[in-house]
Amino acid sequence: MFDVAFKNLGARKTRSILCILAVVVSVYLNGSTATMNNWMYETMTSELARYMGKIYVQQGGSSYPPFDSTIAQATAEEILARTDLGLNREESTPLVFVRTERAMMPFMPAQAAVIGVPVGKENVLLGHTEAAAGVNRFPDAASDVTILGEQAAGYYQATVGQDVIINGQKLRVIGVLKPSAMGNLDRSAVVPLPASQHIFGKEGMVSAVLLTAGDVNRVEAIAAALRQDYPVLEVNTQDDLLTEARKVLQFPLFYMRMMSLTGFIVAMAVIMSTMVMAVMERTREIGTLRAIGASRRLILGTILAEILLLSLMGGIPGALLSMPMAALMRTRLPTPVQLTQIVLFAVVAGALGGLYPAWRAARVDPMEALRYE
Amino acid sequence: MGNIIETRDLWKVYRMDGMAVEALRGVNLVVEAGEFVALVGPSGSGKSTLLHLIGAMDTPTRGEVHLNGRTLAQTNDAGRTRLRCHEVGFVFQTFNLLPTLSALENVEIALRLAGVSRRERRARAIELLERVGLGERIGHLPRQLSGGERQRVAIARALANRPALLLADEPTGNLDSATGQVIVGLLRQFNTEGQTIVLVTHDPEIAAQAGRVLRIRDGRIQP
Repeated sequence: MFDVAFKNLGARKTRSILCILAVVVSVYLNGSTATMNNWMYETMTSELARYMGKIYVQQGGSSYPPFDSTIAQATAEEILARTDLGLNREESTPLVFVRTERAMMPFMPAQAAVIGVPVGKENVLLGHTEAAAGVNRFPDAASDVTILGEQAAGYYQATVGQDVIINGQKLRVIGVLKPSAMGNLDRSAVVPLPASQHIFGKEGMVSAVLLTAGDVNRVEAIAAALRQDYPVLEVNTQDDLLTEARKVLQFPLFYMRMMSLTGFIVAMAVIMSTMVMAVMERTREIGTLRAIGASRRLILGTILAEILLLSLMGGIPGALLSMPMAALMRTRLPTPVQLTQIVLFAVVAGALGGLYPAWRAARVDPMEALRYE
Repeated sequence: MGNIIETRDLWKVYRMDGMAVEALRGVNLVVEAGEFVALVGPSGSGKSTLLHLIGAMDTPTRGEVHLNGRTLAQTNDAGRTRLRCHEVGFVFQTFNLLPTLSALENVEIALRLAGVSRRERRARAIELLERVGLGERIGHLPRQLSGGERQRVAIARALANRPALLLADEPTGNLDSATGQVIVGLLRQFNTEGQTIVLVTHDPEIAAQAGRVLRIRDGRIQP
């Protein structure tokens, strides 16, 4: 009876279109929030995956990145000089983190930042991130130079050889990085540690110390020893950072889920009200069908077919519309399975919203066909 | 010939505002196969109620209805639905065509409900529409047809599943007298081919064209 259902929807074009539009918006809302959720998780996990086997020491704020943390450089160097901990010193370094432009929303990463890293220790921060242009390492004794993350290059609109001004200090761009797995690195200008301290008046201070255990199985033991020796410092392993990041993401994720739920309820309510109205208007038609031999099940099926059509006609464009949002967030585009899930969201909302009108239609008595008023 | 309808001591009592209204009071009626019976009577006499009961649209308060050998009292909702689909054809005063479907689709829908194959239902619907003189207008929507044409589509739909019984509730009530005569002429024509028809009407001229006229008053068939 899909053909009859389709004609019924076509007969009430304005109402059907308004209903479909509402479903499109609801599904788009759901698809976009799902994309945002994915993006936040992806950013967080890919960022923190880099800290496998590493220890992050900071003070005065346990959030990541440690923009609000300050440690005396002397303390940082004391830790790095310790031989009893079993550190891989080549892979350990102090770092300076400064946020130069705040995030668009509280739970999002900073739009622009500066990371200071000692010359010769860039590899600890950059890992395998290659340069798209120029170099990905500082020359010896470099000072007023910077290597820009992929998005930072766009933010400063600068290419290799040009100057950028950060906090009033002119820096020559010597490299632009390829996209990394770390959102914060992509948005940062990497500068030599002394230059970063100078630019932001942080002489003698760093934000954090990144330590690499010589033996990956000793991470927890090293962290425990540091916690004991430096009770004022925050000593975080990858697990601690993940727990912390999850805690920070808890509210935005809850907020996103609430938005998604709102979209679901809106889609359900719109489909329900549209179909209740349709069933009320068509009571005599349904009564006629019952009078000429349509079973209750068939009436139920026809109404559910209409609901399914409304859900699909709203769900498919809504799901496709959420793709530009994914592109904007530079996250992976939804896979066909995820798109199907988003469309299914509309179908489930429609099915739930359609239960009452369908039940009501199936209860119509054949005698309704004979009410002439 | 056998009996298509047989009612025994048929009662229908409605409750309205707490009051019991006796619409039918012990009706005994026999309609044989091939008959054309007109039920006449004033408003509220119970003629439409009787039509609904024998058409398996409603259930009696008391008494029995036998339709083409089946006892309706022993039939559940699904069974009554099947009877309405296969054994009874309805023609309504207000035509009751589905507004979004063409004349052809309106006739086909009855065949679809009976599970007739697509090819067969198309052929049978076209044949019936040609029989009622609408062969040229099968693609028209109800709103594009006149009242008389709509009623002819309704008759074609009612006869689509070759029912044992055709019930017509005031089929000329919404038509002018000339068009009404055309519709009754059409019903008579099908009756001469063996179709059993029970028709409810106010109009004595229409009733006079039936083979037998039964008068109902105060829920009883007048002797």
